[in-house]
Amino acid sequence: MASSGPAVGSGAPVPLEELRPPSPLFADGASLRVLGKLQEYSVETTVAIIVDAGASLKIDTQHLRDLHFRVGSIYQFIGELQVQPDNEAVLRARVGRNVDGLDLNLYYQSLQLVRQFQAERTRYQST
Amino acid sequence: MDKSLSLVHVKLLAFDLLSLAQSPTNPPTFSRDGASLSRAEALGVVVSREHKPDRFLKFAVDDGTGCVPCVLWLNHATSPYFARQRPQGVRLIADMANGQASLVKLGSVARVRGRITSYRGAVQITVSSVAAERDPNAEVLHWLDCLKLARRVYGRPRS
Repeated sequence: MASSGPAVGSGAPVPLEELRPPSPLFADGASLRVLGKLQEYSVETTVAIIVDAGASLKIDTQHLRDLHFRVGSIYQFIGELQVQPDNEAVLRARVGRNVDGLDLNLYYQSLQLVRQFQAERTRYQST
Repeated sequence: MDKSLSLVHVKLLAFDLLSLAQSPTNPPTFSRDGASLSRAEALGVVVSREHKPDRFLKFAVDDGTGCVPCVLWLNHATSPYFARQRPQGVRLIADMANGQASLVKLGSVARVRGRITSYRGAVQITVSSVAAERDPNAEVLHWLDCLKLARRVYGRPRS
């Protein structure tokens, strides 16, 4: 997950249902990539709520430009997680995009395969 | 060292590309599991963008496994390398580069091809071509391509 480029790290893809304690990705400041269907969006607070497989997540979209929010569409966001003491979490999005048409089954299955591959390579390179 | 992979744009996941072995030479050469590589293809979300007109466009693509720094040179008018070539040809190359630079937008997905180079010790891509990818499934298909190629073509990791 470490980045050798700009200041922030790469957003680790994580399904919303995995994003809760004790997952190591559920940490304040963690750079994440999330996706889900837009359930609601408030223009005043610029907070969006996305849902996926029964789990939901608040997204702070104040820094996003040129993104049109349509309830019911699927969006993907990359940003940093802010976790409050009561374990309430908001993702402060740096970028976002509409991903209507994404094959979610294929996405999640492929994500598993990528994770396995990363683990294999890390083991291989440390031997 | 097997040089056949150095002739193609090798599709690599970011974490794989960023952890390539670098020779201590100047300029460094790059290899993966003993195979020499010189060009790569990366695909990911553009998460940073720094544009200096007529100099360069620096940007980074995040594919979920890492962030690949990329540089698209736009200094054709002042570069000594291009000064030796016909102005009309240089103009065409410069226009194409600038056209591609405008396709790189923060938050959109870009497919980047270019030479693997090193900047301050870190791997980056010196862009020869960049294209916008609108199909949301393109990223997933790139992941799968990278996995398949790594397993079957680039050499198997010892497990």
